[in-house]
Amino acid sequence: MPDKSSDLVQGTLDMLVLKTLALESMHGYGISVRIEQMSKGVFRPNAGSLFLAIQRLHRDGLIDGEWKPTENNRRAKYYALTEKGRKRLNSETREWGRQAAAIARILEAS
Amino acid sequence: MSLLRNLTSGIRTLFRKEQVDRELDEELRGYQEMAADEKMKQGMSRQDALRAVRLERGSLGGTKEIIRSGGWEFVVDTLWRDLLFAVRMLRRNPGSTAAVVIALALGIGLNATVFSFVNALLLRPPTGVKAPEQLREIWIHNPRDSGAQGYLPLTYPDYFYYYRDHNQSFEGLLAYDGDPHLVIWNRSGEGQTVLGQLVSGNFFSLLDVNAVLGRTISAEDDQPANPQPVVVLGYGFWRRHLGSDSTILGKTLMLNGVNYSVIGVAPPGFTGLLVGFEPDFWAPTAMVEQITRDKGRLSNWHGHWLIAIGRLKPEASTNGARAEVSVLEHQIEKDHPDLERNLDATVFPATLIPAPYRIYVSAFTGLLMAVFGFVLLIACANVASFLLARATGRTREMAVRSALGAGRGRLIQQMLVESTLLSSFAGLLGLILAYWTAPLLLALKPASLPITLRLPIDWRVLLFTIIVSLICGVAFGLTPALRSAKVQLASNLKDETRPAGFRKSRLRSLLLTGEVATCTLLLVCATLCVRSLRNASSINPGFNTQHVIAARLDPGSLGYSEVQVRTFYEQLSEHVRALPGVTAASFTDHLPLGPAREHTLATDAMRLGPGNKDWLPIDRLRVAPGYFQTMGIPLLRGRDFNSSETEAGASVAIINETLAQRLWKNQDPLGKRMNFYQEKGPTEVIGVVPTGKYRTLGEDPVPVVFLPQMWARRTLVVRTSGDPATLLASVRREIHSVDPNIAPTDLETMQQYMSLPLFPARTLGLLLGVSGFLALVLTAIGLFGVISYIVSQRTHEIGVRVALGARRSDILNLVVRHGLFLTVVGLVVGLGMAFGAAQLVSSLLYGVAPTDPPTFIAVATTLCVVTVLACYLPARRAMRVDPMVSLRYE
Repeated sequence: MPDKSSDLVQGTLDMLVLKTLALESMHGYGISVRIEQMSKGVFRPNAGSLFLAIQRLHRDGLIDGEWKPTENNRRAKYYALTEKGRKRLNSETREWGRQAAAIARILEAS
Repeated sequence: MSLLRNLTSGIRTLFRKEQVDRELDEELRGYQEMAADEKMKQGMSRQDALRAVRLERGSLGGTKEIIRSGGWEFVVDTLWRDLLFAVRMLRRNPGSTAAVVIALALGIGLNATVFSFVNALLLRPPTGVKAPEQLREIWIHNPRDSGAQGYLPLTYPDYFYYYRDHNQSFEGLLAYDGDPHLVIWNRSGEGQTVLGQLVSGNFFSLLDVNAVLGRTISAEDDQPANPQPVVVLGYGFWRRHLGSDSTILGKTLMLNGVNYSVIGVAPPGFTGLLVGFEPDFWAPTAMVEQITRDKGRLSNWHGHWLIAIGRLKPEASTNGARAEVSVLEHQIEKDHPDLERNLDATVFPATLIPAPYRIYVSAFTGLLMAVFGFVLLIACANVASFLLARATGRTREMAVRSALGAGRGRLIQQMLVESTLLSSFAGLLGLILAYWTAPLLLALKPASLPITLRLPIDWRVLLFTIIVSLICGVAFGLTPALRSAKVQLASNLKDETRPAGFRKSRLRSLLLTGEVATCTLLLVCATLCVRSLRNASSINPGFNTQHVIAARLDPGSLGYSEVQVRTFYEQLSEHVRALPGVTAASFTDHLPLGPAREHTLATDAMRLGPGNKDWLPIDRLRVAPGYFQTMGIPLLRGRDFNSSETEAGASVAIINETLAQRLWKNQDPLGKRMNFYQEKGPTEVIGVVPTGKYRTLGEDPVPVVFLPQMWARRTLVVRTSGDPATLLASVRREIHSVDPNIAPTDLETMQQYMSLPLFPARTLGLLLGVSGFLALVLTAIGLFGVISYIVSQRTHEIGVRVALGARRSDILNLVVRHGLFLTVVGLVVGLGMAFGAAQLVSSLLYGVAPTDPPTFIAVATTLCVVTVLACYLPARRAMRVDPMVSLRYE
């Protein structure tokens, strides 16, 4: 199976992780499954890229991590959006919308 | 906030590596388990599920590596580990490490030494001065003359009536005497020479230099109508000669026969605006006539002696100032058309060397930098080929690292860390070397030059050394690093490292060829300069340099009358002649080959007429009776002056052969008469002496006339039968006993005096000699290293050759031939470069043509011999190769 995450524009994965965490706090695997589900299988980030993005977001203070037991009685680190992360998600979503619309207009024009 | 968080998180990772690692491990393992759980729900076995997850999502180790490399702390961590590893690698071969470091340190150290001179002369601003970057020098410029001759400092009227008060660009314009004066300090009856500088009344205030004791010279002290005899003492002089006397203020010093009252002491470290001079005192410029006994200097429109420096206003620009001084200069011409100046004026940024001379200093130091830069280049090439050899030996190590997942960047980084570590050590050693050699270099200067130069190892020298070291490190480390990062995994791991022949070491051979070429260039220049030095030392200056001492005297500076001066010299002459060991004594107004000159034009009296264009430029010396005998110059024809001719200033002359030939070719010059340009009456020739050297040792024959009139300023010359040095003290004593107020400014043997004209040749000979020798040694080491490496790599092949019946001499031939081939290619290139470079130094050479064939042949032969020697040792090892051993190594 091809690694779909390589198709992601640099930085886009960060936005997707933020979006996933906007609904509820979640552990790494959960994030990965959610992204796969929401994109209907188009994006399937591998562990390296995913945890690199998580580390980056964590260091930028956009998400917080906390060790908690899972439903299957495993221990996992759950990540949650911080206030700063929520703001960043909003602004990035807006910006993405603008850009995507613009690109779409250019592509349709021809 | 996020930066802080990033930092703390990174630092936590660095210092609590294990815990962070464990956490990451747990998190990733959990991730994989959860993914596997999913698969197992679909009916896979646990093992298959885990395997599928690894394939799909990446392995645990790989993922961890990716995450770790994402943070900044990763770079620090790997750099640190590379550094530790590099130290281990270098300590494993202490011998070769030391050799490399020392070779580099020599190269870097010599460059740092030269740079400390560049820094002291050209870059360092004057110390103790406020905002030196705002200061600008004003020079009058003659556009018809090129070089330093085209620039003149200001005259006193220029400064006083025009430039000082009629400019808008400067906050103020100060002036000082460009030629510091050696002045006789009469210290309670004992004469002692001290160095003084004349400065304008605003000199100290404009530079914002405040006295540590008393006050500095003010504008009121420096009125030409009413000059005040006051001095500010240099801090060093005050400490050394006056014992830091704090009650010195108001006391008087008798300088050149005039009492000056001490008004202050300059702060420590302040030595004025001129490099090399540390004045003992400063006096107002308006006192110039009293100090120099030169009447009318203040109103003389032709005497250019003041270097003017202005402080640019914040809103003014250099270009604006330049335009303004040019306008002022033209105004002077308009107001004084009788001066016929036709000059322009311009401004330069002020540094410790007056602007017109900077180009010469830059050229000389630039030449030295280039020479030592080449030595450094050779050292770098050596190190590069050493590292290259080692890198090839470490291909396996690199292959293993690469197989274990190290990227190309990581491998390059590791090699570069090693090379910069080497060059940093070398840089540190080089700095220590520079600290020791710079003062040694300064000791080359003749003792008679009153120059004090401080060569501090300041931040500029430090920065230079660091940059040079880093550049070296990267330069010689990059190629081996790129090389070793280009590993072919499979073949290297299988130990198929068997480079066949010499073609494999093409890069190293290229380096070596370049090294030989550079070495050739340096050796040729060095040999030329050393030969020229030997020639210069053996040039006959036309007088005896072995048994003569000289002393410069100037009773006129004390304001003595003509009669007093004459009495002094008569008595001195008697006293000195009475000394044991003295065979003759006389006087001259200046010695040949020194800085002093008197030029004029001469012609045959018979040809004198209104339309005569036959004026011959000549040099003129004035000598007392007995001068030729004292200096060991034979009289070829005629007779010497007698004392009545000297006293009367008779119109008689002794000429040298060159002048005789030019004026009266093939005639008897005795009794002929000559005229000097714009001087009354003819002068009769009464004697002829052989032509000597008068301006420089390398000059073509100069026509010279000797006249009997003498001035107050004279040089005493004394001929002895024994060692002249033993006589110096007694001559000083005799001068003192005749007149305790008079002190000789230069009392030295003729041999000491000759160090001045020989100074350029000596400096160049020594420096180039050292660099040439270093280049040769380094190249020999480089050759030896490369050839032995190649031999060790070819052991297998040589074994095969021996097994097939090759004789030992064949093997020797094989190795030496290769070394010689590289050398000859380098030689050809180097000789070509040397041919061009030698033209550049040709003006500094005595009696050696820049294309001197013996020099070129000698250098070529030396290099070939050195090559054969450097090849011989490795070749001998190759000859001893036992085919059984080398073949079994398979």
